[in-house]
Amino acid sequence: MSKASVIYDKFDRHSHAQGLKGHATHYCPGCGHGLAHKFLAEAIDELGVQDRTVAISPVGCSVFLYYYFDVGNSQAAHGRASVVALGHKFANPDSVVISYQGDGDLASIGLAETIATAQLGAPITVIFINNAIYGMTGGQMAPTTLMGQTATTCPTGRSQYNGQPMKMAEIIAGLDGPIYVERVALFDAKQRIKAKKAIRKALRNQVEGRGYSFIEVLAECPTHLKMSPEETEIWVKDFMEPVYPLGVKKDVATEPWFHRNPPSFDGEKILQLAGASYAHPVRHSDGFPTHLAPADISLKLAGSGGDGAQTAAMLIARSGINEGFDATHIPSYGPESRGGTSYADVHVAEEEVLNPGSPDPQILIAFNAPSLAKFGPTVRKGGTVIYDCSVVSDAPLLDPSIKVFPVPFTGIATDLGKAVVKNIVALGALQAATGIFPKETFLDAIRVALKDKCALIPLNEEAFAWGIKSVETLRS
Amino acid sequence: MALKERPKPFLLPEYCKGCGRCIDACAKDCITAGHQINPLTGLVPVELDLTNCNACGLCMDACPEPYGLRPAHEGPIPKFELEDPAKLYGVKPSDAPEPQDVPSVVLPLPRTEPLVIKGTYASAIGAILAGCRHVYGYPITPSTEGAELMAKFLPKLDGTFLQAVSEVAAVNMMYGTAGAGLPTMTFTSSPGFSLMLEGVSYMIGSELPGVFVDVMRGGPGLGNIAPEQSDIKLACHGLGHGNTQALVLAPSTPQEMLDLTILAFELSFKYRNPVVILSDGYLGQMTGKVQLPETLLKPGVPQWAVYGDALHRKNLISSIFLTETDLEAHNVHLNAKYEAMKAEVRSESFRCEDADVILIACNTPARTAKGAVQELRHQGIKAGLFRPITLWPFPIEALKAALQGAERLIVVEASAGQLENEVRLALSKAGVRDYPEIESVRRMGGILPQQDEILARVLGRKEVLA
Repeated sequence: MSKASVIYDKFDRHSHAQGLKGHATHYCPGCGHGLAHKFLAEAIDELGVQDRTVAISPVGCSVFLYYYFDVGNSQAAHGRASVVALGHKFANPDSVVISYQGDGDLASIGLAETIATAQLGAPITVIFINNAIYGMTGGQMAPTTLMGQTATTCPTGRSQYNGQPMKMAEIIAGLDGPIYVERVALFDAKQRIKAKKAIRKALRNQVEGRGYSFIEVLAECPTHLKMSPEETEIWVKDFMEPVYPLGVKKDVATEPWFHRNPPSFDGEKILQLAGASYAHPVRHSDGFPTHLAPADISLKLAGSGGDGAQTAAMLIARSGINEGFDATHIPSYGPESRGGTSYADVHVAEEEVLNPGSPDPQILIAFNAPSLAKFGPTVRKGGTVIYDCSVVSDAPLLDPSIKVFPVPFTGIATDLGKAVVKNIVALGALQAATGIFPKETFLDAIRVALKDKCALIPLNEEAFAWGIKSVETLRS
Repeated sequence: MALKERPKPFLLPEYCKGCGRCIDACAKDCITAGHQINPLTGLVPVELDLTNCNACGLCMDACPEPYGLRPAHEGPIPKFELEDPAKLYGVKPSDAPEPQDVPSVVLPLPRTEPLVIKGTYASAIGAILAGCRHVYGYPITPSTEGAELMAKFLPKLDGTFLQAVSEVAAVNMMYGTAGAGLPTMTFTSSPGFSLMLEGVSYMIGSELPGVFVDVMRGGPGLGNIAPEQSDIKLACHGLGHGNTQALVLAPSTPQEMLDLTILAFELSFKYRNPVVILSDGYLGQMTGKVQLPETLLKPGVPQWAVYGDALHRKNLISSIFLTETDLEAHNVHLNAKYEAMKAEVRSESFRCEDADVILIACNTPARTAKGAVQELRHQGIKAGLFRPITLWPFPIEALKAALQGAERLIVVEASAGQLENEVRLALSKAGVRDYPEIESVRRMGGILPQQDEILARVLGRKEVLA
């Protein structure tokens, strides 16, 4: 066959095309890469997709794929070609991306990337050159080295202590992601025709948006097998093929599915997603609640995961910001996802929050006994403690200057029919106990937070009112 | 069907490596192993005797060299091609997108009320406003909320969020998308950032933009998930192997998480280099007031982007320079770029003008230090805060100015001196010899320095001096 048009007229990237390098590959005599390149180039030509093709050069002997292919070229780190390919595919969904990798690259250092990309199933084409040896680093054991085969890192032959040969085509075919997996060889004219067809099909599957295809090519490496090119062909046939049987491992008829719209840059849509609001919040307070602190109020909310401490904390911070102050909220969770500890540090400052942590809060809201026991003693003198007396029976003795409000958060919330609103009961109690912000400030924040669940607003308003009422009852 | 006129093979011996695949392929025994070493190549090319050749073409199919065995006809594609292959499969090369150099477009964004969001969210929204629609990540506390928000928002903007199999895969997906010329980013935390460094080195070597938001946590090893300024060393001096540098930005509020993320994309494309945002576990999780900007960016496609079309396929994304002189020249070029990045230094000097005591801090500890400065001023002590916003390059000129007249210099940090090392290196490189002995307030393990610890350091020493 004549040279495919997708092969450069001159290999300018090959040592600046000096001497013969402008028209000769860097591969050794008898190497399988040249043929695999050729079949790939022909397939790109035949499908007419040169203008959309991006080839990912791996690490290994085929690291210089970009010397030869007149397509978009990106060179990847060792093992990472398949995910670089994904990066290109998702950047330009109409591109035809080829990840061309050797056995060390694909089946050893890049195994995680290889498997995950295959299982993702996005339409890319992976060409895997398996020659049972490391080429570029000089004849070390590959994941695909045969049992008993010698290599510089298994000089007496691969034994069980070196692990077993990795049968990638079978592994990839065992996944649900890929649609087409075939193992081919290059050792005679018949195999070469099959190889060429397989590569073309793998590429066409991508062009048509059908899915991920994987072609394993049993290739010859005469240099590191220390044989003549002819002997190597025989070796691949007689020794490799029995371990790596040729043929189609998977071929699933799939309708084209990979369609991606161009990204949106619609500002309104972004603002909507971000939850941004045009409405200027109404300020209800006359100024910073200096009766609590001159410029910065420190709060802590503590409970178990699921108590709603974080939501309540967020609502306090939002209320503060709506009033024109600065506010911060830092959550602190235990390692458990549910039922663990859940603490929130909140600050509201007239100008700027400078110490967002609350190691010694002025106000503590405790949702359970351990939280009250742990943080009660850290509350500053003259501070305020509000706790859920539905679940805390024995409150610890605190400094007499501290105002303590036992409020049955859980009891009230359960009576209202939804235990989850106990944090809103707590907010009502906070409002009544401290007067940090006017009632309406909290209610506005609650309504905004529930703007997508409007049906829940009355219940939350009621819970808030009950929190206030409880404190008022305690006071009377 | 046109009549097949099958060509016989032709071989320039210089392009034959003598592998002999063609010998087996030929049924007519026209090809034999050579006997003479070619003086140009040092290889032994095969020998052709085409007396019995029936032009079956199998030898040419077997030849691995593109310019090896070729049809004897010189010139363009031989006539025996049945049809234009492009027609067979429906897609013509001419149907491919036209190559064009698309400039970025700044679009107006209506003014809204401040958001009340956490730092990672602020950064994610900043990235979206900077035009990023391709985010790759791997979950790691305390950075995960950034990825989660992207996973929620990006599909609604026809963008891409992929959860990678590992941080190694994530950074290489970024490498791919960045190679296509598009803005891309990730959220990670210290152990994940360690894993990404291989890819960061490749991105720097290949001159690719990309934004890394590292929400630093306690280390070494698995450490814990609480805040530590544990990666300053890594970001400033350890971005993988080789001669690597990147702009390192250190926000200290949720607002800066947004602002500096937008800036990071701009700088990343300006210099074709990754930009690292070092946040801390507190800041990533902290909810605060965030005002959105009044513009957003629709990114263009830079000239250097890789794609298959005629214009862009001249481009190559690669960090390989096999010839030593080429690689040296590339490093000289990178160094010039690093030098140019020094124009991007940013810092905040808070009440440093008349300060006797200068505190140096970044990230959340800088907030605490600012609180300490106010408290100290309240007590009549002239304190000031110098806050580097770029950790690399270090804003040394601004620090020199802040240090004018200072009697004490205290570095406040949540690490074992990583920020102090940056300060010392910057002073040393700038040839500053005359500066106060450096004192420190340090916490580690996920604990941040507290205001009273800073006060104790400042006041304690003062009492001793008195």
